[in-house]
Amino acid sequence: MNPLSPEEMERFQKLSNEFEPDVQGPLVSTKQSSHAIAVEYANADPTLATKTGTLAVTHPMTRIMKGDGNCGWRAVAFGYFEMLFALRDPSRVQRELARIKSLNTLMDQVGQEEHLYEIFVDATEDIFAQISAAIQNGTPDESFLVDAFNEEYSSNSVITHFRLLTSAWMKLNPHRYQAFLPLPLDQYCATQVETVRTEIDEVGLQALVDCVIEGAGLGVEILYLDRSEGEAVTPHQLSPNRPNIATIRLLYRPGHYDLLYRAEPTVNMAPVVNYQYAMTSNYSPWEQGALSFDVNPHLMSIPNLMADPSYGMAPSPIMSPVSPTPAQQSTSPFRVSSPQDMFHSPVPSHAPVPSTIPISSPPPPMTSLPSRSSDGPQIRLNPLVMKPNLSRSLPITTPFKK
Amino acid sequence: MGSQKRIAKELGELVQSPPDGITVELADESNLYDWKVHMEGPEGSPFEKGRFLIKLTLPTGYPFKPPSVSFATKIYHPNVTNDDKGSMCLGMLRPDEWKPSSKISAVLEFARQLLAEPMPDDAVEGRIAEQYKNDRKRYEEIARDWTRKHAT
Repeated sequence: MNPLSPEEMERFQKLSNEFEPDVQGPLVSTKQSSHAIAVEYANADPTLATKTGTLAVTHPMTRIMKGDGNCGWRAVAFGYFEMLFALRDPSRVQRELARIKSLNTLMDQVGQEEHLYEIFVDATEDIFAQISAAIQNGTPDESFLVDAFNEEYSSNSVITHFRLLTSAWMKLNPHRYQAFLPLPLDQYCATQVETVRTEIDEVGLQALVDCVIEGAGLGVEILYLDRSEGEAVTPHQLSPNRPNIATIRLLYRPGHYDLLYRAEPTVNMAPVVNYQYAMTSNYSPWEQGALSFDVNPHLMSIPNLMADPSYGMAPSPIMSPVSPTPAQQSTSPFRVSSPQDMFHSPVPSHAPVPSTIPISSPPPPMTSLPSRSSDGPQIRLNPLVMKPNLSRSLPITTPFKK
Repeated sequence: MGSQKRIAKELGELVQSPPDGITVELADESNLYDWKVHMEGPEGSPFEKGRFLIKLTLPTGYPFKPPSVSFATKIYHPNVTNDDKGSMCLGMLRPDEWKPSSKISAVLEFARQLLAEPMPDDAVEGRIAEQYKNDRKRYEEIARDWTRKHAT
């Protein structure tokens, strides 16, 4: 590819700075690869490019919300129902329905009139009924929910229901929120929460979670995509002290929310090859200031995170098996694991590898990416892999060969 | 659908216990979305003794989209367009300020209140607003005159 002109660079910079959500698409999209987000930012600010690259690996799927002023509300509402369906527990759905309906008293307490709000509750109830039926019928996927949320009336009704509950909750618990608001709480509710297309802000989101979501035993985590330092989006758990059975994850870019889905722990991404390399070589960390893999709790919490974040965007070597070159076989004390091995542990259990790592020298910062030059797009590889003498002997480079 | 259920309930409430000086009916019995509203000019205002016909139109997206209010009876007022549309501009009816939990009776009461107390800073007729602020006497004369001519 040709290097980008300064004008193009400027355009991409502008694109990332002033991200404007798509107002044409569906209200709620189908689940799609979050690789698209990485592509969107590939030529933008290096921090954003790095973070979205990592994101595509840690959270491989996303669901885009229409940026019509309701995206945050819609993302949480959809995530809530999607999670309830995914848990496939009919009695839980019934309990939730009863709990949500009992929250009508909140609206009554703040003077909302039932004959005005009941149609919103009806719509929510209808979604619950659809979920119950889907669980009972063994409906394979959540496309019925996507359809329901793309139906304007039902989508608006559920969102309005959740908005009114949030508003009532805030009015009944002003001490929890007033200090964080720049205007009187009643006014905030009237102009920011009870309206039809005012985007949710952090205080409103917290109140929505406190009132509607938390009681379901669901957690909400926001992953901030911003230009702060770091190589991964910054996660923030909204009710960190409560145990939850599942977590709704939101990707936040200024003014816009989408849903994110973490890599399934059962999906094996075969990090074995690079582990082997790291363990059998004398290396020096290529970026002294970087946070080591083992001291970054967010990365450590990701099951089977592979060493090279860009690796996950390439076809899996399991899908197109490669055999190690003779050179590797003769020099490495470790063989490349068979796929069966990979499912058990990222480190082959037959190899006494951990003991070979000197305590004083932490493992390399596996998630570091080389700094990007401005001369155009490039495939970001783990620097170790990019060393020419290694690229011949390490099978991990194979997926990148054209 | 839910939208009609709600409109029917609101209409029922308004017919059963109408707010002061306001009566409503459907323009066409088969259509819930077009209302005829009769509004008496508030006492003490230049519109006193006038009886104004207002058209209230509900969008199909109601209650997620606001109703619109227009005066079929000509009226001299800073917040009503002085044309054949007679549109009344209410803050609460702007799409981004509208609340789906607002009710039509509140809209109508607010509209009537606006007859008694115009909001010249939020005017659609700048000239009338200027006159209301600077020459209240003349404004009231003309408004009373129009009320007599058009609204009785």
